[in-house]
Amino acid sequence: MADWVPLGDRAIRFARPARSAQAIVRAVRAWPGVIDVVVARHEVAAYFDGAPGSVPEGATPPAWSTWIDALATAPDDPAPVRDITLRAIYHGPDLEHVAAATGLSIGEVCARHAAATYTVETMGFAPGFAYLGGLPAALELPRRTTPRTRVPAGTIAIAGLQTAVYPFDSPGGWHLIGSVVDVQMFGPDGPLLQLGDRVRFVP
Amino acid sequence: MSLVVVRAAGLVTVQDLGRPGRMHEAVPPGGALVRDRLIAANRAVNNPDGAPAIEVLGNLVIRAEQVLQVATDTTSPRALAAGDELAVTSEPRRVAYLAVRGGIAAPLVLGGRGTLLCAGLGGLIRVGQRFTGAGLAEVGAAPRPAEPAAGPIRLLEGPDPDHFATGALDLLASFEYRILPSSNRVGTRLDGPALPRTSAPEGSRPMVIGALEVPRDGKPIVLGPEHPTTGGYPIIAVVAHEDLGRLFSIRLGGTVRFTR
Repeated sequence: MADWVPLGDRAIRFARPARSAQAIVRAVRAWPGVIDVVVARHEVAAYFDGAPGSVPEGATPPAWSTWIDALATAPDDPAPVRDITLRAIYHGPDLEHVAAATGLSIGEVCARHAAATYTVETMGFAPGFAYLGGLPAALELPRRTTPRTRVPAGTIAIAGLQTAVYPFDSPGGWHLIGSVVDVQMFGPDGPLLQLGDRVRFVP
Repeated sequence: MSLVVVRAAGLVTVQDLGRPGRMHEAVPPGGALVRDRLIAANRAVNNPDGAPAIEVLGNLVIRAEQVLQVATDTTSPRALAAGDELAVTSEPRRVAYLAVRGGIAAPLVLGGRGTLLCAGLGGLIRVGQRFTGAGLAEVGAAPRPAEPAAGPIRLLEGPDPDHFATGALDLLASFEYRILPSSNRVGTRLDGPALPRTSAPEGSRPMVIGALEVPRDGKPIVLGPEHPTTGGYPIIAVVAHEDLGRLFSIRLGGTVRFTR
């Protein structure tokens, strides 16, 4: 049986089942009383309109463990995966450092970043901030020891085995390698990138 | 109706009841810092509970350009004639709400009309800014939400006890903490005895409004309506949902006591 912990009196948190993020969001949003879902790298949280599992008097409250277990076989989101291409300029202030730390030339760093296809695995940190999995292992680096207080919107960054584009000016601890061109990562229609999207960077 | 801003100091924004349902896109719920006070101001002028109103964390002076009916969360409704000025201060609390009969006109973006600074939606209200009415129909009179009971703010044990030294939660519940002036709608920063951490979680985890995140220095931050949906600090406790408004009503520099 799956374990879960209360996240206050209006949410619960549990380990992320081995399903796509969009399948988890779809399934959990269908639970009674759920108004929001956050899928992080290793955990999922479900947010309720009232106390989780509040039911009319006399009824049996839902057994969340059973519901969580059922997520392992949740149907995939029927919506087709979206392919998003982002135009990129590789001119970030950390390119030299990344090249030195990975033993690659600056040209190779850019070429490898642009050659990979990424998937939006989780969203968090800031509205529309998409954690893109699929960074080539040759580019894997720990975060900067000292985060920057301001990273400009549109900056392409890498850390660990992930890459991302900062949707807004914000603090940031990742390595900055470039920026996207002619595109707003978050606008009046919401985020450009969504869970499950396949993303490529084209120089 | 229309009104013009004569003076605005502090965090003054248009707010409603937020944008639930978008946390999977990393968009926090947003909305009024103290929901019951927004509702109280709206009910005083027979608005729907979630009508857009002006949230004042600081001071605001407006001038009516036409006759309009206004109320705050603590004052009775009154009519302003063209040219009348009205001052609204959040003192002695942290926040006050100014509601106008019919609501404040603001565009519907991503399911809400309130300002969400972290998402670049709306912005701080500035001197000279002009607002018109939303023309919302009157709803039947409803009593204002009851003033919450006094007493310490109730905490629920957090989901990360393994990341704290034994007794950290007792420490939090035993001492007075001060609300730091650097607090905003993202987080309410507390000063008091540092809460000893033993480790940090691996990677970012889902967050929730009212969570007391504890950074390396051990001084907790209570997440507010514009909180990041994920975060890397361990959570020592979460404020009981019913007590959130009471905590967020305490003026900056004021003190808070918690209880388990």
